[in-house]
Amino acid sequence: MLDVRGGDLGKLELLFDRHHRALFRYFLHLTSNRAVSEDLVQEVFLRILKYRHTYQPETRFCAWMFQVGRNVHMDHAVRHKAEVAMPERGLDVRSSGVPPDLQAQSRQEAALLRRALAAMPPEKREVIVMSRFLDLKYEEIASVLKCEVGAVKVRVYRALRELSDRFFALCGERAS
Amino acid sequence: MICERIREQIPECLAGHLDSAARERLVAHLEACPACRAELAELNAVWRGLGSLPDPEPGPAMRARFLEVLEAYQAGRASGSVGPATGVPHRWWHVALACALLMIGVFLGRYVAEPRAASPDVAQLKVQVESLRQLVTLSLLQEQSPSSRLRGVTYSYQMARPDEQVEQALLYAVNHDSNVNVRLSAVDALEKYAANPQVRRALADALPMQDSPLVQIALIDLLVQLNDKEAAPALRKLAQDAQADNQVRGHAAWAIQRMEVSQ
Repeated sequence: MLDVRGGDLGKLELLFDRHHRALFRYFLHLTSNRAVSEDLVQEVFLRILKYRHTYQPETRFCAWMFQVGRNVHMDHAVRHKAEVAMPERGLDVRSSGVPPDLQAQSRQEAALLRRALAAMPPEKREVIVMSRFLDLKYEEIASVLKCEVGAVKVRVYRALRELSDRFFALCGERAS
Repeated sequence: MICERIREQIPECLAGHLDSAARERLVAHLEACPACRAELAELNAVWRGLGSLPDPEPGPAMRARFLEVLEAYQAGRASGSVGPATGVPHRWWHVALACALLMIGVFLGRYVAEPRAASPDVAQLKVQVESLRQLVTLSLLQEQSPSSRLRGVTYSYQMARPDEQVEQALLYAVNHDSNVNVRLSAVDALEKYAANPQVRRALADALPMQDSPLVQIALIDLLVQLNDKEAAPALRKLAQDAQADNQVRGHAAWAIQRMEVSQ
């Protein structure tokens, strides 16, 4: 990123190749919309290009990128207040080599878990996405959210606790 | 209280990010506490379930789109000054070399080269290229895709002379484009048109219309750069607007001070 900041804009292609998938997953979990998520990824890299001079070398690129990503998502959320439901297509769990009845059960549980996650408040969903899907360490999440590491620990636990409650409640509804 | 502290460490432990001492304390507590063991089992089931969800992949066209925009941005930058400074200071010898080359060029032009009238064909070609650039800029600015509109803005930098239609299209983009990046780039592109007092007034008028703090800050920076004293009332109003973003209000107050100092 220091090269990009110094004017070697071609190096941004390398950063895009390394990080655009993680960024896409982050947006997809927040917006539940593939096309919107792809657009938001483009916006993040454009802002990185435009505001490259504000990058501070002591910040990890990944953390800075997700800070930009949060701002882009917030701008998007202000413009499009209505939430879009998660499409069900392509949500199959990884299930090769598993008997068909277990596969069906896993698919059902995955769909319920996805529903529970989509129903979470955005700020709680965001910390789950960061810690589980993006595998960010608490120090990195704290840097993105601009809070203390201790606060991240509490937020992730509470978010996972709530997700668990929502998921098992949905499982109970389905069973009854 | 101990249970609460221990439970807060469960997600970090499941992610494999807990240090060994903390993990040992967690395990020791779990051995003695059935309630926390049940909590771990439940959260672990959800954690594992999340891990079994597929990793969605972006479409293959996304990379191509990004490269197209990067290329357009670089092309715009090469043909003029696009965006903010990179923060790399010029070395003195770059400046000295540029001055020396300029003086040699002037000397050769005045005393050595034969005076030649410009060919009418070349002049006509230049006019055609300029009009083509105008056409491309205007049509790209009306495209559906934000990246195409952004290319339209960067294309406007390649125009040798300010053009009224392009100026209006850029002002329209600043006030009405749905994409923040297009609006930001249009603000930068309008620097070239800032000699026109109507453009400067339109930039100041755009301040309260913006919903993006980034665009407002870019507008303020441009007005400060232009040292446009007539924008002071609009900036003062923004600095006192309780509805405006805090950072924007602070930046507007800074801009007013800066303009007062430079008076």
